[in-house]
Amino acid sequence: MAVTHITDKMKRVDAYEKARGEAKYLCDFHLPGMLYARMVRSTIPRGNILSINLPELPDGYYFISAKDIPEGGKNALHMIAEDYRCFADGDVKFIGETIGILVGSDRGVLYELEKMVEVTYEELPAVTTIDDALEKKAIISGEDNIMCKLECEMGENVDEVLSKADSIIEETFETGYQEHVHLETNSVACAYEDGKFVIYASAQCPFYIRTSIACTMGIKSDDIIVRQMTTGGAFGGKEHFPDVIAGPLIVACNKIRKPIFMIFDREEDMEFSVKRHPSRTVFRTGLDKDGNILGTDIKIYYNVGAYLTSSYVVLQRGVFHSTGVYRFPGARAWGFGVATNCFPTCAFRGFGAPQTLYAIEMHLDHIARKFGYDPAEYKKKYFLKQGEETITQGHIVEKVMLEEMMKQITDASDYYRKVKEYAIGSGKGIGISFYNHGGAFTGNGEQAIIKAKLKLKKEGEKVSILCGSTEMGQGFRSIMRKIVSDTVGIDIDNVFYDNPDTSKVVDSGPTAASRSTMVVGFLCEKAAKEMKERWNEGDFEVIKQYEHPEGHPWDQTTFRGDAYLGYGWGACVVEVEVDKLTKEVTTKGIWSSHDIGRPIDELIVHGQVNGGIIQSLGYAALEKLECKDGRFKQRSISSYIIPTSMDFPHQEYFFVDNPYPWGPYGAKGMGELVFNGADSAYMGAVERAIGRDTFKIPMPPEDIQGVVDRK
Amino acid sequence: MVNTCYIPKTLEEALVLRKEKKAVPLAGGTDLMVAYKRGVGITPIFPFPVMIVTHLDELKGIRVEEDGTVVIGALTTSVEIARDERVPYFVRMAASKMGAVSLRNTATIGGNIGNSSPKGDLPQPLILLDATVVLQSIDKKREMTVDEFIIKAKKNRLNDDEIITEIRIPKPDYTYGYFRKIGTRKANAISKLTLSAIMKVESGVIKDFRASSGAAGPKVARSREVEKLLIGKLVFDLPSLVEDFVDAWDGVISPHAMPEFRRATTKNMLRYFLLECAKLPKSGIIE
Ligand SMILES: Cc1cc2nc3c(=O)[nH]c(=O)nc-3n(C[C@H](O)[C@H](O)[C@H](O)COP(=O)(O)OP(=O)(O)OC[C@H]3O[C@@H](n4cnc5c(N)ncnc54)[C@H](O)[C@@H]3O)c2cc1C
Repeated sequence: MAVTHITDKMKRVDAYEKARGEAKYLCDFHLPGMLYARMVRSTIPRGNILSINLPELPDGYYFISAKDIPEGGKNALHMIAEDYRCFADGDVKFIGETIGILVGSDRGVLYELEKMVEVTYEELPAVTTIDDALEKKAIISGEDNIMCKLECEMGENVDEVLSKADSIIEETFETGYQEHVHLETNSVACAYEDGKFVIYASAQCPFYIRTSIACTMGIKSDDIIVRQMTTGGAFGGKEHFPDVIAGPLIVACNKIRKPIFMIFDREEDMEFSVKRHPSRTVFRTGLDKDGNILGTDIKIYYNVGAYLTSSYVVLQRGVFHSTGVYRFPGARAWGFGVATNCFPTCAFRGFGAPQTLYAIEMHLDHIARKFGYDPAEYKKKYFLKQGEETITQGHIVEKVMLEEMMKQITDASDYYRKVKEYAIGSGKGIGISFYNHGGAFTGNGEQAIIKAKLKLKKEGEKVSILCGSTEMGQGFRSIMRKIVSDTVGIDIDNVFYDNPDTSKVVDSGPTAASRSTMVVGFLCEKAAKEMKERWNEGDFEVIKQYEHPEGHPWDQTTFRGDAYLGYGWGACVVEVEVDKLTKEVTTKGIWSSHDIGRPIDELIVHGQVNGGIIQSLGYAALEKLECKDGRFKQRSISSYIIPTSMDFPHQEYFFVDNPYPWGPYGAKGMGELVFNGADSAYMGAVERAIGRDTFKIPMPPEDIQGVVDRK
Repeated sequence: MVNTCYIPKTLEEALVLRKEKKAVPLAGGTDLMVAYKRGVGITPIFPFPVMIVTHLDELKGIRVEEDGTVVIGALTTSVEIARDERVPYFVRMAASKMGAVSLRNTATIGGNIGNSSPKGDLPQPLILLDATVVLQSIDKKREMTVDEFIIKAKKNRLNDDEIITEIRIPKPDYTYGYFRKIGTRKANAISKLTLSAIMKVESGVIKDFRASSGAAGPKVARSREVEKLLIGKLVFDLPSLVEDFVDAWDGVISPHAMPEFRRATTKNMLRYFLLECAKLPKSGIIE
């Protein structure tokens, strides 16, 4: 019998079954009498529904829509707000909105039936871009199409600073949509078993689904059981979006009382699911005559689509990360969540931070080069330090090790030699970025909203972990078993952690926000410690609940105080060569360093670094997703281009040791951090290679050509 | 709706089915299955009878005839083409850069030509080399250049009783060659733009010059007229001829999407190739 220690690099407990194709996903299951469902969706961005003409439905086939929501229920999915309708009713707000679902036994028949459904509309003027919405081409939300907004500031008064500055640099940066492309498409099933509705879902947050659709049905959450199925990737795409499938399914199941499955095709998943928020960030930065930053005024616009989903929280994160890892004498940031008649945007790894972090990094690169400074040295002058103030007038609680991290990656990449050698515009380039990610929920959300719980159950020599946090490919199940194995001192094979079932586990909160290891893992460590002490008491359970660490003041109404419990920190160098003839970019090297407290498993963490950085480079280099008149143009994996393993070279990665006091074994959040900065290092390198400033991502070769051709 | 599917045992049987049932050949199926797919868990439905020809050995393999003509059976896969040193460089390169390994093991040259997509990778070098397709029906055999065969995107001169049996590539004769595929990424990538060019030089005189542009219009673009601008000229005069030439070539291509990129990059590549040739380097492929 062997204990797995935290310092052991472990093979993920699910690695073999997944690599061999033995793991069973929802689409591999069959329930007796099961039916399938297919969505009937809006085909216009905005309008009134005049009629829905159905073909004659064969026996055993149904069309389910808003009229089927039971009395006492509500045509709403309770996410954070309740604005997302379960079914469009009377009007439609975006292309792809669920109007109804067709249910029956044969997917081929459903496919043909769907094509025969005729919906007639009275089309209304729509706004489908941030510009349309701001210019009020139509009013679709409130008085000004701003669905949510916030403002925060720190330090000196920015208006005064700007009025006294020697020069003001104004720059606007834009980022595009991004699709999650989780390997497994969205899939949910609903059955009625022993007097309860049971949802089987590929999902991150089983308890979210339960709350969301209990609202639709007007029943108690406890009357719904949600069972997470083995989930083939999520990246935020399965945080709230499964609700959009589960809602119509439970309404249908209530009427039909048979198990109903809905499994998206890849094209459906690409065209009709939530995406990362496209953004625009505008800086007005005041400088002295030597190019030192005196203060900056930042306006941030996120395209939230037609429904709020998690967008307000995403926007907050964007605002709170908009000054990056830097402290300026004064800073003010305004965030606007812009409503459009586009598919709603929602959670995606980084949750609003990547957009503004990209923007501030590029902005500083540009200022540095304009005044003849090396970007790395210039940025270093403004690094936040322990105790310093953030944009929300909170403080950095932990030791900040950015300088050490910078040294690791500049040494390893030979950065200083290369910036000298690679003349601007020479076709070769190297770029550097710094970034962070606030761990866990914003402000006091963990304490005020989530109140995470975790239960450990001892039966003989065996221990089960009972909580709602989910494995979705990130390795969480492995590290939780490892924490128990090491803490209690038992074989990891005697530690059990099944996919959560909401009727059996306690709610540990959503698997999101880089909070699971840091917050839930910490509860697990605490519970395991207690269990070890009481090991000889026979069979028993330990429940632990979240306790807020002292000294993190936060006011959610004014957005003042410590926006996060702690930050993960990152630094990245990327080196590229741009082909002079074709503008194709070859990435020559990637070096990163991350402060994630203390890694809970180096191998798993390595996987996260690799994957996060490649995903970020894809975001910068390849993943163009355009929305034209409310419809996505890239609707398949042959037109939406995610990187392959051939696109980026081997990475060199470093960590610094900076144990976090409120995380298990010193660990803090890292799942999103590793997405947050390689994009700007890459673009910095491309800019050096082509000798031009750039202002948007993604930037595939044809757009680089456009920048080079720009007068 | 039920699919009719035939599995002929011989080419002759296939030709009879083709004539009598108008059955459409399915070779690797990597275009056909995608074109008619209906979704996860749903069988594709074809609006025509299909015959699976994948296994017909008569249409597989590569041979070289006495005059150096390379003959490639229609059912030969990209992997087989990419591996065979006897196949001209340009065709090998194009085959080796198609899709990913699994695709290259399945995709056939007959299917690539039969599909006639402007983004298909093999027609471009085949058209450069004046390759021909052999079209066989139960009654007769026709041969025409790939350039003539492909009319425009997804349209070709295949009669509904014919099967492509082989592709014939005359022995290329060149001093310098150039090939470039710009894909959407570094692997498993559809072409954004491709270009091949060859030049034959004798005693400093350009005896032959050809270029072909793929993914830059509704079909692969070649222009003998524009190529003639260089034929007969002195290699040393290339620097002064280059700009007029690339401008003329610009009139040959007609890219729909990303026109600036496709036009500028085509010019860049051609200019580069010609200026490299002007230096009269060692003969071979210019990288
Ligand atoms: C993931 C993926 C990646 C791809 N990447 C590329 C790429 O990088 N480059 C590229 O060029 N293509 C690519 N393709 C497209 C496709 O693989 C090629 O066009 C391939 O060569 C088609 O060959 P096939 O044998 O599979 O054709 P099939 O699908 O069997 O047939 C295609 C068409 O040709 C006809 N046909 C086939 N054989 C004959 C014959 N002997 N006589 C008459 N007609 C015939 C068929 O009836 C059909 O109309 C890709 C496809 C996929 C799915």
